[in-house]
Amino acid sequence: MAKLDPLERITDLLLVLLDAKRPLSRREIMLRVPGYPESDDASRQGFVRDCNILKSEGVPLVSSRIAGDDQVGYSIDAEKYYLPDLALDADEQAALNLAVAGVHLGDPTGKEALSKLGMGGQWPVRGAVQPLVDLSLSGGLVALPVLFEAVRSKAVVTFTYRGEFRTVDVAGIRFRGGHWYAVGWDRDRTDARIFRVDRIDDIPQPGDVGSAAFPDDFDPDEAFARSPWNFGTGEALEVDIAVDAVEASRVVTELGADSVIERTDDGAVVIRMSVTDVPALVSWVMDFLDHAEILRPPEVRAAMVERLGDYSTPGAQR
Amino acid sequence: MSSKVDTATRLRRLFAILGWLVQVGEAPIDEVAARFNLTPAALVADLEMAACCGVPPYTPDELLEIVVTDETVSTRVGTTLSRPRRLSPGEGLALAASARALLSVPGSDENGALSRALSKLDTVLGQVAVAVELDSPEFLDEVRTASSSGQRLTITYYTATTDTTSERTITPMSLFASEGHWYVDAWCETAGSLRRFRVDRISAATPAGPASPDILAAGAPGPDAAGGSSGSGGADGDADGDQARLIALGAYVPGPESRRVRIAVDESATWLLESIPSAKPLEPEGGRPVWEVFVGGDAWLERLLLRLGPAAVVIDPADYRSLAADAAARILERYQSAEI
Repeated sequence: MAKLDPLERITDLLLVLLDAKRPLSRREIMLRVPGYPESDDASRQGFVRDCNILKSEGVPLVSSRIAGDDQVGYSIDAEKYYLPDLALDADEQAALNLAVAGVHLGDPTGKEALSKLGMGGQWPVRGAVQPLVDLSLSGGLVALPVLFEAVRSKAVVTFTYRGEFRTVDVAGIRFRGGHWYAVGWDRDRTDARIFRVDRIDDIPQPGDVGSAAFPDDFDPDEAFARSPWNFGTGEALEVDIAVDAVEASRVVTELGADSVIERTDDGAVVIRMSVTDVPALVSWVMDFLDHAEILRPPEVRAAMVERLGDYSTPGAQR
Repeated sequence: MSSKVDTATRLRRLFAILGWLVQVGEAPIDEVAARFNLTPAALVADLEMAACCGVPPYTPDELLEIVVTDETVSTRVGTTLSRPRRLSPGEGLALAASARALLSVPGSDENGALSRALSKLDTVLGQVAVAVELDSPEFLDEVRTASSSGQRLTITYYTATTDTTSERTITPMSLFASEGHWYVDAWCETAGSLRRFRVDRISAATPAGPASPDILAAGAPGPDAAGGSSGSGGADGDADGDQARLIALGAYVPGPESRRVRIAVDESATWLLESIPSAKPLEPEGGRPVWEVFVGGDAWLERLLLRLGPAAVVIDPADYRSLAADAAARILERYQSAEI
């Protein structure tokens, strides 16, 4: 007799578990699902393998203690298995498809999500996908879904960030300047912090659902709005920087037109910014080479001059 | 492609096919097979098998309702396997992020189908604070309009790698956002070849008339067909057609004229190198990390060295060893000549 197709066996297993009104023991499952080998060892192995495949496909299969000789029962939580109906119309489906095709995430997760929504296979993409946006998750891929789920379930998370252990109530995630960031309340530092997700050293561990707690005045948008030079604990300084025509457009794109306090006919600008972390500012200004100059206040200008002086002996340790 | 496909992959494909069939009701076998990259025979075999699945006592009303005829296949809405399954956190994130990304492209339709799809997703996934910010450089609109209408543009452009500004006439072809910036691949009449421009480095843009049909027919540049770089790290995942185009997305692809530079750095500065696609760690020397980078112009390396800090040292080529000190001296001059 021909051996039963493993796909048929696993499909039957899934259907039996979804149909069951209570957890079933392995023995009960063997009676209902054809195709497992006769011998106890081999059938156990086959069953475990099938369970693992179902779990790897995201099926919420759980084992629990049951009364009786068999002790362990298996079940699928139908609530967690099915998605409530989204009722997407044809235009909305097409728009989602275009979004997934037009955004590069560096892995096929988006397409798998579309499959689950009944939009699998190859969709004819009408016209060029234009423009294309690259949101590559490489590096942050493992941590990001955990953080996403933590925000959703309001769970506190713990992780190691650049060598330091953190306990964080995550409020949101955001893609900016080519990187993914998580913003949250750092419990040990008792302050808002932004974490670049690809620099998280390990896989974040979520706590219990609902365990996250934020101070009343915590504002993730305000924290995200802070630039690198605004994370220090220093006093806020008003800094003016002259940028010549060559780099003016790039600076204004980054800081916004509101930051410009002076424009000259040749296209140069003077910008004003509020700074609490001077070393971070100096590092940023450095990127404009001799197209930018810190004008005032004198102490920030002096910090730039001092930093530049460090390079006079190549390889000097700071 | 007759190699054995594992059960997990087949199960996932079966879900995908049934989920799609529910949307369309009935479809020709050939169309379904082509869509899911199967032979018609393999498709029919899998669906006939699935049609026999069910729960005891395996009477017809307990079986999956899948109908396979000579020409078509169909399934019924609401059967156990064809109802949509819950999204994993990663999948929910991927959809929400993709939709938000396209909605944050300046000029996108905020009340269109994508917005509506996203708000339906939000009601199911829970409103999660995922935001995507793309910058909106001053001349993005001009470039996009020129690109979609086949027009040429005369631009003033700053080339950061060589620290020079020039005026060029270009035919924009494809516009994309990568690593936080907007780029346009365009035919450059000055260079007589395809070039990649960063949109925020365009400081002026004026329409310059319709593009030559020959140039447009040549189409947007594909991936670097010569296969120039193995150094920028092969792209991952995505198995299908847009892969070729996505490899081309890397903001900097080392060209034949670029120079390989080895730099010794402090451990604390390696994160900066990690963010450069073409940079690669080598064997440490003298207990310090050593990285190689490919350099297309002095100004780019100057910036990198200044940001790495004074502890970073160029190992070779030797003529780059004093580059950071020279650049620092040049910037210092600006401060000394105009002491306030």
